[in-house]
Amino acid sequence: MNIIIENLRKNFGEKTAVNINQFEIPSGQILGLVGNNGAGKSTLFRLMLDLIKADEGRVLMGSTDVSQTEEWKSWTGAFVDESFLIDYLTPDEYFQFVARISGTPDEEYQSFLARFEHFMAGELIGQNKLIRNLSAGNKQKVGIVAAMLLRPKVLILDEPFNFLDPSSQSAIKNLLLEYNRETGATILVSSHNLQHTVDISPRIALLENGVIIRDIDNADGKAQEELENYFKITD
Amino acid sequence: MNKWQLYKLLRKQDNLRNERHPMFEKNRFMKFLGWFMFLYYAAILILLGVVMPAGLSGEYNGVAAFHVIDGFFLWVLFVDFWIRFTVQETPAQTVKPYRLLPISRKFLMHVYLTRSGFSGGNMFWWFFLVPFGLLAVMPLLGWWSFVGWLLGWWMLCIANGFFYLFVRALCMRHLAWVLLPVLVHGGLILLMLLPEKNCLDMPCTEFMYQFALGNPLAFLAGAALIGVGYYANFTLQSGMSYNEVAKKEEIKHASKMSFLNRYGAMGEYLKLEIKLRLRNKQVRTGFFVMLGMMVFFSAMLYFTDIYDGTFMKSFILLYNYVGLGTMTLVGIMCYEGNYIDGLMSRRESIFELLRAKFYFNSALMLIPLVLVFPLTYIGKISVWMNIAYFLFTIGIIYPGVFQLAVYNNNTLPLNQKLTGKQGNATQQIVAMVVLFLPIGLERLSVWLMGPVWGYAPMMALGLAGICTHKIWLRNIYKRFMNRRYVNMEGFRASRNS
Repeated sequence: MNIIIENLRKNFGEKTAVNINQFEIPSGQILGLVGNNGAGKSTLFRLMLDLIKADEGRVLMGSTDVSQTEEWKSWTGAFVDESFLIDYLTPDEYFQFVARISGTPDEEYQSFLARFEHFMAGELIGQNKLIRNLSAGNKQKVGIVAAMLLRPKVLILDEPFNFLDPSSQSAIKNLLLEYNRETGATILVSSHNLQHTVDISPRIALLENGVIIRDIDNADGKAQEELENYFKITD
Repeated sequence: MNKWQLYKLLRKQDNLRNERHPMFEKNRFMKFLGWFMFLYYAAILILLGVVMPAGLSGEYNGVAAFHVIDGFFLWVLFVDFWIRFTVQETPAQTVKPYRLLPISRKFLMHVYLTRSGFSGGNMFWWFFLVPFGLLAVMPLLGWWSFVGWLLGWWMLCIANGFFYLFVRALCMRHLAWVLLPVLVHGGLILLMLLPEKNCLDMPCTEFMYQFALGNPLAFLAGAALIGVGYYANFTLQSGMSYNEVAKKEEIKHASKMSFLNRYGAMGEYLKLEIKLRLRNKQVRTGFFVMLGMMVFFSAMLYFTDIYDGTFMKSFILLYNYVGLGTMTLVGIMCYEGNYIDGLMSRRESIFELLRAKFYFNSALMLIPLVLVFPLTYIGKISVWMNIAYFLFTIGIIYPGVFQLAVYNNNTLPLNQKLTGKQGNATQQIVAMVVLFLPIGLERLSVWLMGPVWGYAPMMALGLAGICTHKIWLRNIYKRFMNRRYVNMEGFRASRNS
């Protein structure tokens, strides 16, 4: 599923949070989104998920304007922050809830869940622990797994490497690459971790004050240097 | 920084914590309502303080008015105690942010207990006591007696405040501790009401009189009560503040509620409704308190004749029906504000959620239906009246209250007590309408059509609302979606995280 951003503007008072004229993410691409704090990464994701209203412009998933219908929600998975989690459920209950309200048979989602066993490290399933009592890292894992659970065509993850231990960071990188290869899903990942972003994204968008100032081709894996130079300069 | 400076800093931050709470900051109406209610009750107390001395002198020949009031001081303390549940937090909750700072834990606890003791709330009764004392105590016994009498009352209010804090802290461990004041107060009330002559009247009057006479033993007794309360709280709450920091919940057995699986996605939303009530302290406490009130009022109606008037019967019946469902539904979607982004990223989830809420809250109405049955059996409430209120609540009151789903956009904390900062103007107005309008309609209908047929319109309207529930729920859902950006912004802004 391709994504098209057209003349998208969002201001918070005087501050411009997002200002993108035209940007297209082809179907099946992994796009890394980087930028300093306040650059507009999370706001852009929220606009793409129709969680905030754009002042101007629109986001199309395929030919669907996300602000006009709810159709796209069936094929989109996302995790932006804890407000995506129902924290008085256990992880098992939450996964079951997400799967069943979408009409996914239990066997199907459970067999898919088995792929995440290494990532979840035995700390989420069958624990009888409410999500609100999990560590920040484990909450992050619940959010990521739930976003991928329905095998979406579009996957949006805001800072997925945050709070994760090194082995989980490595695990999620592999899971995302494998998922993309297998399903051809379009994946958008924002991160402050340049190394991880470069490792998984053949294309990287650099955001500054809401504007995509560089659209970096990382097919050869050489974006790291350009990004390091940019972030050193702004320092 | 010396301890006095630190005390002032903590006091300032405590005030800011309340003033800048996202929920309170956003809600000008509640600020206005808070001040309005304060001034309203203060004015009533001042008025009573001015008129009662003369009134009581006429009523109780030969007995000084202040002796009469002193005889009622236990009742005043009971009221004072229960009112505190709506307005006062415990120190264990307030010291939590300071635990990692280099401030002595004991000092923190002393600061907050001292603040609780000397808070303005403990002087609220002064609006009554000062004018009353000036008119009833001072002319008879002089200035110093008035001051001593006033100090006596104040000391008892402070001690009562500490008793409240103690109970409140225990209730945070387990709600069953609420039975402690129920038993203490209930026992004292029985002692006052059951014997032919109130056996606590004279001791109470005499005890308060000793304050007016300046008897040091009375002040010593008052100080002892405060000291015991202070020490008990210090010991209990110091331990509790650790619990606040290291709060852990582990559910022993996560019920699968598999009987709801047959309803597909709807079943999942129904499970969510049930778990919302069972696993979140704020929601659960509200639910059980309402249930307790329903049982209490129904029992009063069953066993006594004090509520046998037509209006009170209707009011208690209506209260039973709106207590469990409607009073929670006034804040519909506010708890969901905590995870609204997750819900909004699922297709039509809000519509399914609204349906589940309707079914769940309709099923809840079976509780009052059964609870009122003994009252219908003894003839205090007719079967028609009971069924009419049952249907009217589900078919008419619910569609009305569900409209708030379109406009509510203030997130309510699920597991944290938030005293005095809940609700907004619309919610308060709807709650008041729900509590009184149906009684007016019922009375009018019965007056026009008699005690049997008078309930037919309520039943017919209720059934119509029930039969068309999918239509009006769909309409609410569409309007919610049209307002979604405003609502989501509101939920985010008032989320306490």
